[in-house]
Amino acid sequence: MTETAVRLSGVKLKRPNFQLGPINLEVPRGCVTAIVGPNGSGKSSTFRMILDVTKPDEGEIELLGERVEPGSSSDTALRQRIGYLQEESLSHERGFRASEKAAFVSQWYSGWDVNRYQELLRIFEIDPSLKLGKMSKGMRRKFDLAVVLAHNPELLILDEPSSGLDPLAWKQMIELLHRYMEAGYHTILLSTHIIEEVKRLADYIVFLVRGRVLGVYEKDELLSSWFVYFFTDRELAARADIQIESIPGKQSLERMTGMVKITTDKAVEAEDWLRQQGITAAGKQALELDDILELLVERQRLLTRHS
Amino acid sequence: MWIPVQINEQSAEPLYHQIKVQLRALIVSGQLAEGTLLPSIREFSQQVKCSVITIRRVYQDLENEGLLRTRQGTGTFVAKVGEQERDRHRLDSVVKALEEAVDAGRRVQCDEEELRRLFEQVVKERLSAEQNSHSQPDYEGD
Repeated sequence: MTETAVRLSGVKLKRPNFQLGPINLEVPRGCVTAIVGPNGSGKSSTFRMILDVTKPDEGEIELLGERVEPGSSSDTALRQRIGYLQEESLSHERGFRASEKAAFVSQWYSGWDVNRYQELLRIFEIDPSLKLGKMSKGMRRKFDLAVVLAHNPELLILDEPSSGLDPLAWKQMIELLHRYMEAGYHTILLSTHIIEEVKRLADYIVFLVRGRVLGVYEKDELLSSWFVYFFTDRELAARADIQIESIPGKQSLERMTGMVKITTDKAVEAEDWLRQQGITAAGKQALELDDILELLVERQRLLTRHS
Repeated sequence: MWIPVQINEQSAEPLYHQIKVQLRALIVSGQLAEGTLLPSIREFSQQVKCSVITIRRVYQDLENEGLLRTRQGTGTFVAKVGEQERDRHRLDSVVKALEEAVDAGRRVQCDEEELRRLFEQVVKERLSAEQNSHSQPDYEGD
């Protein structure tokens, strides 16, 4: 289980107006890893380098135990084991019928399972006789996902899989991906903006901001370490002997009317510390993923300014 | 199989610990009988909406305690629980719930005397309510 599905070592991509990396990242096999970050952070570029569509300027990429040699993208044996859902559907396919695209794609995959493909069409309620250009955005997305899953890949790379999906279709997709993961040896690497998607799917979270990896976290550990505590001025005045700002993991301190609000990224230690000091918080709250991302971005901004 | 474990995201107690305490309670109380096949790690993680890493850790810890055993290729089962073990863990979840109640009281500046009085009052009310109604206790399920 500790095996690595995708490994990026010192990967860099240089463009006139953007630099990505150096990225060092290990995506564990058998797990779901979500890359989270604002638009333009380099998520799609990272995926394109992993898939050898874009050549990195520096660094090495390893995929399912094999080194990706830039330029040898004809490595079909490796391709057979991967399913890739692009961020945008290809516009030149608009004139194709769904069934025609599936027939075309199936030629390239020896593992193409026609029964599985049919079942996916049924689950997603897709009419394969429709032209791709005539499909709604959501149906097109579901169809593309069905095509990507039909050859039963070991590794799924999904670039914002839920864009355009309505809540019901989104739920179907989540369930489908859950079922895909039950095999135990399957791996998903996805990028997303949707916090609920990360919560429902991910085992690991990678924060990618302005071309840099801010950190790789185990989801549950991350979500249970970031907390906000509220203390009343009265409580703090009564305990003037205690420096509340020395609470472990303090990330920010904000004064509000009658209250002090403190954010920590070490909730377990903070809790112990409060107990030892004998201070009671008037309230506490776990942070949501987007709040954590915002604070990490802010912390990074301060770090780069001071260095 | 559905395992009645409920997690509290607003608790600063690590998720894996919350799940471990509850699963252990289900086993030592006999609610999960010896030989019961537990859900796969992935299945259980989806059920509780946490990551597979957390569940793997819980299964490993309880296996080390002798409460679970894993058979390669078949899955994770509830092991035989000795009397001693049963006694040792029977009250774990009760102690935890009481600790949380005391914390809640301290947040609104209750002193010891007040806490004791409240505790006795709640015990009295609950037990008499139980005696009055012979119907099932209210159970909140999903």
